[in-house]
Amino acid sequence: MSKTVKKNIRNFCIIAHIDHGKSTLADRLLEMTGQVSERDMENQLLDSMDLEKERGITIKLTPVRMYYTAKDGEEYIFNLIDTPGHVDFSYEVSRSLAACEGAVLVVDASQGVQAQTLANVYLALDNNLEIMPVINKIDLASADIDGTKEEIEETIGLDCQNAPLISAKSGINIEDVLERIVTDLPAPEGDDDAPLKALIFDSYYDNFKGVICFVRIKDGTVKVGSKIKTFMSDKVFEVTEVGTFSPNLTPRTKLCAGEVGYIAASIKTVQDTRVGDTITDATNPTSEPLPGYKEALPVVFSGVYPLDGSKFNDLKDAIAKLKLNDASLTFEAENSMALGFGFRCGFLGLLHMEIVQQRIEREFDLEIITTAPSVSYRVYKTDGTMVLVENPSKLPDIDKIDYMEEPIIEANIYTPPDYVGPIMDLCQEKRGVFMDMTYIDSKRVRLLYKLPLNEVIFDFFDGLKSRTRGYASFDYELKGYEKSDLVKLDMYLNGDICDALAIIVHREKAYARGRAIAERLKEVIPRQMFEIPIQAAIGGKIIARETVKALRKDVLAKCYGGDITRKKKLLEKQKEGKKKMRRLGTVEIPSEAFMSILKIDSE
Amino acid sequence: MAGIYIHVPFCKHKCTYCDFASYPQEIGKAEIYFACMYKEMKSRSMVLKNKTFDTVYFGGGTPSFVDAKYILGCMRLIKKHFNLSENAEITLEVNPGTIDKNKLRIYKEAGINRFSLGLQTADDALLRSLNRIHTVEDFKVATKMLKGYNFSVDVMIGLPDQTLENVKNTLDLAIESGASHISCYALKPEDGTPMYSKYLNGDLPDEDTVTDYYDFTVNYLKERGINRYEVSNFCKDGFYSRHNLNYWKRGEYIGFGVSASSFIDGRRFTNTEKIDEYVHCLLNDKYAEIFSEQIEGDEAKFEYVMLNLRTSFGIDLKEYKHAFGTDFNVDFKDKLPPILKYLDITDSTVKIKEQYLYVPNNIIIQLMD
Repeated sequence: MSKTVKKNIRNFCIIAHIDHGKSTLADRLLEMTGQVSERDMENQLLDSMDLEKERGITIKLTPVRMYYTAKDGEEYIFNLIDTPGHVDFSYEVSRSLAACEGAVLVVDASQGVQAQTLANVYLALDNNLEIMPVINKIDLASADIDGTKEEIEETIGLDCQNAPLISAKSGINIEDVLERIVTDLPAPEGDDDAPLKALIFDSYYDNFKGVICFVRIKDGTVKVGSKIKTFMSDKVFEVTEVGTFSPNLTPRTKLCAGEVGYIAASIKTVQDTRVGDTITDATNPTSEPLPGYKEALPVVFSGVYPLDGSKFNDLKDAIAKLKLNDASLTFEAENSMALGFGFRCGFLGLLHMEIVQQRIEREFDLEIITTAPSVSYRVYKTDGTMVLVENPSKLPDIDKIDYMEEPIIEANIYTPPDYVGPIMDLCQEKRGVFMDMTYIDSKRVRLLYKLPLNEVIFDFFDGLKSRTRGYASFDYELKGYEKSDLVKLDMYLNGDICDALAIIVHREKAYARGRAIAERLKEVIPRQMFEIPIQAAIGGKIIARETVKALRKDVLAKCYGGDITRKKKLLEKQKEGKKKMRRLGTVEIPSEAFMSILKIDSE
Repeated sequence: MAGIYIHVPFCKHKCTYCDFASYPQEIGKAEIYFACMYKEMKSRSMVLKNKTFDTVYFGGGTPSFVDAKYILGCMRLIKKHFNLSENAEITLEVNPGTIDKNKLRIYKEAGINRFSLGLQTADDALLRSLNRIHTVEDFKVATKMLKGYNFSVDVMIGLPDQTLENVKNTLDLAIESGASHISCYALKPEDGTPMYSKYLNGDLPDEDTVTDYYDFTVNYLKERGINRYEVSNFCKDGFYSRHNLNYWKRGEYIGFGVSASSFIDGRRFTNTEKIDEYVHCLLNDKYAEIFSEQIEGDEAKFEYVMLNLRTSFGIDLKEYKHAFGTDFNVDFKDKLPPILKYLDITDSTVKIKEQYLYVPNNIIIQLMD
């Protein structure tokens, strides 16, 4: 058995900070290699979900195979593996990177190195990738090419002398990038005859073919009829189709070492083909899996309820369907006094949470209520046991709790020096612990903070954006749990406790937060036929009170000229609006009220 | 009993809150417009021979702005082609800046026996800011002229910078002028009107202030023998607007002209708002309906309930049974419990309690399907 170099293959990804032009460059590469004609091309082809296009971010990875005839006269196969661009998906990113030998690092010449640039570079270095810098957006008036080069050389240590200077948008110097991929990025190595070792870097569920696993063959060969298994599951499957991405699925007879492609084997659920797991031959397995597998664990939890209580089963089907494609989404049924039957769902982060919610609403046409997100707390009870609490209303009674721990993150914040003060204030307010501050250059500072995750999900992003006018960028990593003085904050509406509005907060912040939430609810709950007291309480003790005054006046359409129909329509509209509200006891509250308690800027 | 509504879509210029079908630039089209309306009236009358009409109402726009001969023309036609009852109530809307002795003489000849005057507010500066064409003095002159006639006065609350003092002065002026009937409407900022941007800018009194003015109005008028009989309408004993009451009783009516609505034999229909389209249709021997709907079953019942609950008389249970052959209490049995506390229920009537009459929507929508 011997490894051979597959000298005409290049497997690479493109890494960049958000908006630095990753997707645009990918589009240009596809265009230049004739993969898609310019006319057929929808912008940002690789981002296949509508949501991704709207937000300009990549959530789901879509690899693509290109053919390029280089100046040396040889034809090369390029496998471009796109990566998600958000901290929530950093594990997926790391597995995508592990499928490559090289990375094209795109840096916006007008913005320079940003938090995600660095986070992604570190991930790429962890995976021993060869990194090729590309300076993008050189045609912008604000572009600082030399400064950007210098910054990359200083902060990342990459030689930028020969970095292609491009504009992906205007199509300047794209050919240079293609040539450099050939000359600067290494070709894969592998042994076609060794036992199969294929890295799963993504998968999705197809109604006809079952799970489609996106794989990078490290060693061996896989073809139709092969019996395969993964390391994390004992199930054996028979391969029904293998192929490559054009970017559409294109069947081939086999996939060999060094190649990137897909395997379909009538697999029923993505749980059996976890990202990072290794596929091997069931009859001739490899002894060792590929390194780096981790189960992606949810860190943010929230209750998801159907707006219309009778749609519980529809919601269940919707979540189950999403779960087919999303191994990191967790859910279990729960019951709320206020909201009825629903699910406690676990997400990788806030963005993941938002995406799942929007997909439920759009793809399944279900209206849902989402409660404010929570993290998972470790509650050590006086009887010596420990429980994980993901739903604040399920916190055991105070007298049964010995102490609690909360998840802690390490945050990397990149900012122009002017905003260091405001950011430090923000982190201070969010119970952050200062770890380190380094000047990257005269224009950029890196702040390292330890922060409780529970504070980060409470408006941290918005606070950071508004206090730095959007100039700061932010990335984080979960570091573990720490002991903390936490209490449950209960909300009462019209005298009734509303479990769906409960949150767990640090004791010192409980008063301020209770007041702020009560004020916020007063704004979002419309006036009704009677007065509604809103109270915040800790352990039964009221700490804040607001009142929604009784409604005194309706908007009345005149019966002018006998237009009764218009009047009826107005009432129908009002009735529709009412249906969008959730009834808690006698009080009607709009579904957005549950999330609105998050959007409270702490003073 | 049935009503006739006639829409006059002309005025001198638009008030800043107005989103009714009224076209100051189009007065040149009055001749052709009325010609078409006469045609519509004659044609419609064919199938209305079996109905007796008890009220006629000229609304607008400003019916008193156009040449009075058109009003006379309409009335001659109505008398000729419709069964108009002996003591029919015939109302004309009047803008105080547009009436004179000569017009009044013609109105009298036409048979107009009730006028509805738009005062809105007794403050000249405020009137100017609303782009009203008249002054407080014009109103006084007009009402002097109308002495001896039965007339109603329209006033508004919730106007920009309006004070309680102004509301009181306005009501005083209306009462002193001899009005038998007062309509008090809260300004409703309609999208597309100049008033709407004031609303967006937060320049209008808030909900609580407007309600204070409303409550004041209800009490102030009551103390002076002018009682509320519908959310926005008040009158001395017996001086109800029969035409409007017919709407609220879910009676039948036929509307002529642009944007006019009708309700005949269970069918609701509405004409186009556009003068040109209206004229074009009628010249081509077509009606200008843009909406038509047959109302039956539960929807008819809901309409009945929705309309009657706006009045202080409420739902007459006997009348209800007579109209639909079923009992209100049975039909709405499942929907009543959550709203019982807002209703006064006796053996013969169901009404919204007086203190909740200004928030009827929330009560009424509970009765919807």
